Amino acid sequence: MYAKLVFRNAKRSVKEYLVYLVTMTICVTLFYSFLSISSKYYQPDIGVEYHFGILGDGMKYAVCAVTLLLLFLISYVNRYMMRSRQKEFALQAIMGMEQKTIGMLFLAETFVMGFIAIGLGIFLGMFGSQLITAMVLSTYEQEFHITWTLFPDTVLLTVGFFVLSFIIVGLLNLRTIRKIKIIDMLSADRENEPSLRKSRQIPVTIILFEILTVWMLAGGIEKKYFYFDRRLPLPVHIMFWGNILAPAVTLLWSAIWLVRKQGIIRSSRPAKHISDKAVSSAGTDVQKVVMSANAAESSQRRCIDRKRDTLLTGLLVCALFQTLFAAIVPSMQNKYYLSMGTGTVNQYMMFVLGNLLFIICAVIYLANTVLVAWKERSPEHRYHNQNLFFYGQITTKLSTTNQTMTLICATLVLAIFLLMAAPVLIGWAFGFLEIRSKYDVQISTGYTGVYEEAELPRGDYEFVTEYLEENGIETAYDLTFDLYLPKREDFHRRVKYDFPAVAISLHDYNVIREMLGYDMVSLKDNEFTTQWQSIATADDRDRFLKENGEIVTDTGRLTLAEKDCYTEELGETLYNRYTDVLLVFPDSVCERLLPVMRNRYITTTDKISYVQACGLEELFLSVYPENADSGADYYIRMRTLQVNGTKADMFVLQAVMLYGAVVLMVICFTVLSLQQLLDSAHYKYRFSVLRKLGVEEKDIGRLVLGQLGVWFGLPVGAAVCVAAVIVAYYVQSVSVQITAYIGFGVLFAQMALTGVILFLLLLSYFISTWILFKSSVEA
Amino acid sequence: MGMILELEQIQKYYGNEGNITKALGGISFAVEEGEFLGIMGASGSGKTTLLNCISTIDTVSAGHIYMYGQQIGLPDAKPAQRIDITQMKAKELARFRRENLGFVFQDFNLLDTLTISENIALALAINKVPAGEVEGRVEEMCEKLNIGDILHKYPYQVSGGQKQRCACARALINHPKLLLADEPTGALDSHSARMLLSTMQRINEQLCATILMVTHDAFTASYASRILFLKDGAVFTELRKGDDERSTFFHKILNVLTMIGGGQSHVCETRV
Repeated sequence: MYAKLVFRNAKRSVKEYLVYLVTMTICVTLFYSFLSISSKYYQPDIGVEYHFGILGDGMKYAVCAVTLLLLFLISYVNRYMMRSRQKEFALQAIMGMEQKTIGMLFLAETFVMGFIAIGLGIFLGMFGSQLITAMVLSTYEQEFHITWTLFPDTVLLTVGFFVLSFIIVGLLNLRTIRKIKIIDMLSADRENEPSLRKSRQIPVTIILFEILTVWMLAGGIEKKYFYFDRRLPLPVHIMFWGNILAPAVTLLWSAIWLVRKQGIIRSSRPAKHISDKAVSSAGTDVQKVVMSANAAESSQRRCIDRKRDTLLTGLLVCALFQTLFAAIVPSMQNKYYLSMGTGTVNQYMMFVLGNLLFIICAVIYLANTVLVAWKERSPEHRYHNQNLFFYGQITTKLSTTNQTMTLICATLVLAIFLLMAAPVLIGWAFGFLEIRSKYDVQISTGYTGVYEEAELPRGDYEFVTEYLEENGIETAYDLTFDLYLPKREDFHRRVKYDFPAVAISLHDYNVIREMLGYDMVSLKDNEFTTQWQSIATADDRDRFLKENGEIVTDTGRLTLAEKDCYTEELGETLYNRYTDVLLVFPDSVCERLLPVMRNRYITTTDKISYVQACGLEELFLSVYPENADSGADYYIRMRTLQVNGTKADMFVLQAVMLYGAVVLMVICFTVLSLQQLLDSAHYKYRFSVLRKLGVEEKDIGRLVLGQLGVWFGLPVGAAVCVAAVIVAYYVQSVSVQITAYIGFGVLFAQMALTGVILFLLLLSYFISTWILFKSSVEA
Repeated sequence: MGMILELEQIQKYYGNEGNITKALGGISFAVEEGEFLGIMGASGSGKTTLLNCISTIDTVSAGHIYMYGQQIGLPDAKPAQRIDITQMKAKELARFRRENLGFVFQDFNLLDTLTISENIALALAINKVPAGEVEGRVEEMCEKLNIGDILHKYPYQVSGGQKQRCACARALINHPKLLLADEPTGALDSHSARMLLSTMQRINEQLCATILMVTHDAFTASYASRILFLKDGAVFTELRKGDDERSTFFHKILNVLTMIGGGQSHVCETRV
């Protein structure tokens, strides 16, 4: 009997479960697709130099971590379902069914729906898995062939994860249903959400923001006190002062507001005093006095509410400035090599995020105030057709769901940022890989920890030659070379923004160029030329070349050759730390200079396998352990390991960012959709009143569309605006890397793709909500 | 005073072929302009169905409901022309309701998202009344109904009686040709009920509003000038107040109810 009831209920309420079903299916599809590549049966042909295990394991953990977000969604959707069914539960309870049984029936119903979603999701996941495979193979530059396989371990993991989620959420629901009173179930649909004006959310948010501001002020003063130097350029002055003045003005504004508020409260007290007197005097109309006291109180409350809006508007403006000044800290630090203490970038990023959260919260709260002000602006506007009704609908809902809207908005910003940042990071990493992995074996050194010339890196790394011979790896090119300081005294120049550039002998430079297939370069005896890193800008180059037409070395003066600069990619270990330029000197000059770094570049005729590369790395680390006593740093980089590690890491990162972004968007849109559908009982009543007042169906349709438009449009619009600011800041701060490794074309393509994904998801949720909403308010 | 509404053999059936329930079985009557007509009957006698059909919220199965052209202000109607509202299209019906009917329901039907004044103003806004006139008319009407002091409160902040007077104000603000009231005192205490009924009587007399009120309460019905008694979906009898005192009329109503068979169960324990 109960089983029959479960299936009938599930069948009958399939419309109500539509959003649940769609959401769960999307979640299962994404989960299965991304997890399928971690299956032990998943063996794509990616070549001997690659090791797939790194990628698979990484994916498994990453996908599971992101999927924990889904638990929240499952629980939210379940709560929605439970609330919409409570009246029915009450009737069953009144008829004598035990609340435990009712809970079990509900659990069984959600299980039926859940299993349908899992089945559908896994089926669709097979298609999704093909997409992911195509992504994997394109990452490893292999050809893609469709293979229809169902991975049993992935299926088991998917079913296990979701069933476990359903059980956990179901048990929580069961507990709720068992504890709830029948009378509360009956009146569930009449329940009003608490008014935001009375809730503590805004005061708490303001207090948290004030605390953050105090922290920012303290941080600003501390940084100025310890790290400020008058000789620094003007933008740095502005940054330091901005980070003190913006929080100070914010606190000053709050203090002024507080004083004025106290003034209002005090000025209203004498009126109360008079009214108290009036009550006590004989023959006074008590009712009138009470009414006037109430009116005074409510006008005081209105006044305080208005004042609070004023405070919030002021704080919003201040928050914008605080964000601006906090956001320029990392770029200033990079540009001027500022030393501001460890963790400064993280600290200021946190300030930026805190401020952005406050901005979102304030914007959504004030949106309501703006709407009301707009409504009050003119009678023509207020009393135009159904405007009164429309504003009433929006402001009531907005004023009770500020917290949810803020969260949704912030989550959407995160999702958009993940989608936008993914290609930049991936492109950056791959571009960097191209530069870093120019050679099959690359040994480099550093002297920043060395203070005695005798301890500078030396040696020919013979054990590497022996290892390669033992493993039968033939070399195509093999060059061990030194990098020199033009002047011996520069050895002790260790200020980051004034680090000396190193020089290479023309012979070594030409061998390297030959190795990489570039033309040879020639110089006269008293000439030098320059080689530049790809991240150096044209401005940097021009400035350097203008200022250094002639260079003084320990052996005499050298003048800039006619062909003064080369920008081919020669790898990043060819330059000194904190510098983007390498000087190329004639061999005779270099012989008499101080060599400070000793590198070795090898290219092989065959690819080094993953196992061989691991062996060589291990050997190198045993000979030159990290943190050696001499202070000299020795590094080894191998194309095989670099490519393997980077590709696997980047793929996992890309997949997780993409997966995370889509999951977050799905969560946001589901919550937005359910927020409207949950109140369909209220809406049905309100629209029925409109019908009775003679409003045509066409106008009702327009009102519904407008209401949903604002409901979806406000958080998405706000999120897009905030995300645009963040992305603009991000793009600007990494613009050098974008130009060097990715290109703005690819970035704009990704922006368009993000827009399309956001739009498609938004559209599908908007349309399904619109259809369900319309049918629920229909006569 | 001319005729405003005429019902001709109205029938209403619910259900499908296998299971038909008769709600109204051929009802005919007419309403004069400025009349306060009460409709009484036991539960299931068809009172509310009849009101829903007149108000065009529900459709009839057979029969005609006529409103007189001159009265309902159709632009191309001749003075004595009858308009059959059962033949109107959906769009015309919405306009008809908007311009000619006012509703007062047992459960008020106010919008909880709007203040009392906004609830009343909405009816004017829907009727495209110039914005400059709206606030003046709302205040004027509220003064007449003694709710001028609660204009800026929300429905959940005022009493049931005030809510119902607000609903009355909203119904009357457009000067409807016909005010339809479905158990208007059903959710009110006796004091509020008396105040509301006095108000309705006053607007009937002073504003010449035509009122059609459905009730099962004899006391409420005693404020009407004529009462139609329904039984099993048909008109059982009709009672006119004429020059009687309200208390006399009340006792006559009780007698009719006893005759119908509703007996004392339909009598409120209220002193007249």
